[in-house]
Amino acid sequence: MIRYITFTVDGATIRTPQGTSVLDAALDQGICIPALCHMRGVEDIGVCRLCLVEVVRNGRSRVTTSCTLEATQGMEVLAHSPKILNLRRNVAELLVAEAPNSRAIQDIAARCGVTSVRYPFHHADCVLCGRCVRICSEMWRAKALGFVGRGAQRRVALPFDERPAYCKRCYSCIDVCPMTIAPCAGPMPLGEEYLCAKCASQLTMTARMPDSCVWCELGKGFGCARQTSAARTRERTAAR
Amino acid sequence: MPRISSPQALDALRAELRAAVGTAAPTTITLCAGTGCQASRSLPVQAALRAELERAKLAGQVEIRTTGCHGFCEQGPLMIIEPGNLFYCRITPRDAAEIVERTILGGEVVERLLYTDPVSGRKVMREAEIPFYASQERVLLGQNRALDPTRIEDYIAQGGYQALAKALAEMTPQQVLGAVRAAGLRGRGGGGFPTATKWQTTRDAEGEPKILICNADEGDPGAYMNRSLLEGNPHAIIEGMLIGAHAIGASRGFVYVRTEYPLAVEHVRAAIAQAREWGLLGENILGSGLSFDLTVARGAGAFVAGESTALMAALEGEVSEPRPKDVHTAEKGYLDLPTTLNNVETWACVPWIIREGAEGFRRLGTAASPGTKIFALTGQVKNTGLVEVPLGTPLREIVYDIGGGAANGRAIKAVQIGGPSGGCVPESLFDLPVDFDSLREAGAMMGSGGMVVMDEGSCMVDVARYFLEFLRDESCGKCVPCRLGVARMLEIVTDVAEGRGTLAQLELLEELGETVSEASLCGLGKTAANPALTTLRYFRDEYLAHVVEKRCPAGVCRSLVHYTITPEACTGCGVCLRACPQAAITGERRRPHFIDQTLCVRCGICREVCRFNAVAVA
Repeated sequence: MIRYITFTVDGATIRTPQGTSVLDAALDQGICIPALCHMRGVEDIGVCRLCLVEVVRNGRSRVTTSCTLEATQGMEVLAHSPKILNLRRNVAELLVAEAPNSRAIQDIAARCGVTSVRYPFHHADCVLCGRCVRICSEMWRAKALGFVGRGAQRRVALPFDERPAYCKRCYSCIDVCPMTIAPCAGPMPLGEEYLCAKCASQLTMTARMPDSCVWCELGKGFGCARQTSAARTRERTAAR
Repeated sequence: MPRISSPQALDALRAELRAAVGTAAPTTITLCAGTGCQASRSLPVQAALRAELERAKLAGQVEIRTTGCHGFCEQGPLMIIEPGNLFYCRITPRDAAEIVERTILGGEVVERLLYTDPVSGRKVMREAEIPFYASQERVLLGQNRALDPTRIEDYIAQGGYQALAKALAEMTPQQVLGAVRAAGLRGRGGGGFPTATKWQTTRDAEGEPKILICNADEGDPGAYMNRSLLEGNPHAIIEGMLIGAHAIGASRGFVYVRTEYPLAVEHVRAAIAQAREWGLLGENILGSGLSFDLTVARGAGAFVAGESTALMAALEGEVSEPRPKDVHTAEKGYLDLPTTLNNVETWACVPWIIREGAEGFRRLGTAASPGTKIFALTGQVKNTGLVEVPLGTPLREIVYDIGGGAANGRAIKAVQIGGPSGGCVPESLFDLPVDFDSLREAGAMMGSGGMVVMDEGSCMVDVARYFLEFLRDESCGKCVPCRLGVARMLEIVTDVAEGRGTLAQLELLEELGETVSEASLCGLGKTAANPALTTLRYFRDEYLAHVVEKRCPAGVCRSLVHYTITPEACTGCGVCLRACPQAAITGERRRPHFIDQTLCVRCGICREVCRFNAVAVA
């Protein structure tokens, strides 16, 4: 038997099976909390820090990632408080300044309200979200990809930089990579990066409303597309 | 050695050991052999001393006790001769003959080996009279000089394992927890979390066996109090963990030590082996039914591995990267088992609390932060070393009374507290009591307990840059705010230091710093912005001088300084002219020289070599 618990996100009461993360529960109800490293079906590691929320307990709030936070009975979560919006915008700004050459990242920046980038652009090919690593090791149990190095040297690599036999070239890693789709206007040449933010125009009216999302093909891939819990349940039952 | 099977047997053994002390040899020479003193060649001194004693046929009458660190490493190797409490420092092997001949045989004092107080210039004869020691409360560290860390007998004779016997025989686990709670012990690793709360959580959590971990992964390059405790008195930590095991109901424990501390690893391993042999670790300890065993795990030198979840990942054989702590490690830690992780110093405080009771512990320190804390005092002060003071001692007292004040006459400007991710406390706040809460309020933190004293010769922008660089390299790179945020902060501070900074960048630095501290995954990221934020908060004028006037007030930031020769002071000796690697200095003999700014690379060599103070930097 599934036990249900009730908690609130931005004042909206949500009923969800016990053991669900706050992020999953919110997305199921169409409350869009932006996320990059989160994927259904693999363990959350809380590294992109976009899904930050405030948890209020006894009048004191604590900032944590909603993907790694299990929803519990009576929990009070703020996903769109001014503080969280500010933190999320700054994190998204760091991301887009590091790797502007991706529609997903540009979309996230727009979604998080980045209107200008105050850092010189870098031209990274990878934002180390770990989606490829986790889909390979957890979904397919292949472990053909992993992280190598520490800090600034950290990168995704094959074992000893050689493709092992147990990599079956399923290309799931490429499927889930946020860097594989170029921005709407095409790839940006080195030194000519800019903040696209075109889809931000769609944000103004609905940004603060739950159950809304920037229209974007990638939004669906990142789990923040318009989708009601009923639709999700149907999907899940079908999958079973 | 037979196993000690009951508290009574332990008492009997102690009485026996105590009776033996002093009868074997009337004179004891205590020689420090901590890593600091070993580096200043205390082992050759010891060998020379033994040879001399042999030659003087005194071998049986003088006992040489090699101990762990005394804390005054700068003056090492240190020697104390008892009875008399005579203190010699900076001894070389060549002094051994004189010490034996004049002091041991003749009863005289060798004047030149005595310590000279740099403040008064006086020679000090006894250890207890040295101002550096006299202003401290050396409850934990003071034990080091009384015992040989490789001998469990010494520890037991000093009253060791008495607290364990008391806890096992007279106290229930709840009573032990109650005592620790009443004592108000807070985590010495820097966080200041109430230890009893953590213990209670682990005790109440589901899952067996419960795990204890001693965190000795001291990552701050400038702090070494954990190393000194482990090297000098490993049994105190074992005893603390045993009492913890009784209170929590744990049966397994780890001591996680950095591989960079070979002596600590050796001593703690030896101590564990001895304790096991004597029946103080293993099954049915002291006949109480408690079973607990310890394993030493060696770390592989990542700064981030000192973070509790990263440390547990390392113990599990994974890469030492932090994990989200939404479920506390006290409930689900090592292999998802309830795990209590405490710092070396926290464990070392536990026997003290049980031995003297909560009131005995609260005798020192403040109401909210009781007990003592060891700090590693370094930088521009006269006396450097390990300093143990009651919590709540004003910073001024530590810097001026114990540290002896500025080392080279320049005014002290700030103290950087808490290691690389700590904060800079300015001179104006030196009356701040050093405890967990006051430091946090000031933007710094207890952290590792490192204290780096800086004088006017340090540029705070440069200091921030230095620490940010360290943190960028030591960040594990897992989460975005720490990996990218710290790198961007470093970019901004570098811009400022090199004269490209703008006022908007200073604001951005502040905002970004706050984001990094709020949004990061683990303790490293959450504190990584401290050096930049505190220097920006207390030394904004220095940042402004760099940004607006394009000037480095301390004359440190290379891109912003100019070296010039003051014609009045220059004698034209030509030393700087010959020393300049860029041939940027011209001038005739006995006539004032001149530096060509287009050729100068601001290496500062001319200033160093000038004997007439004629090279000015601005």
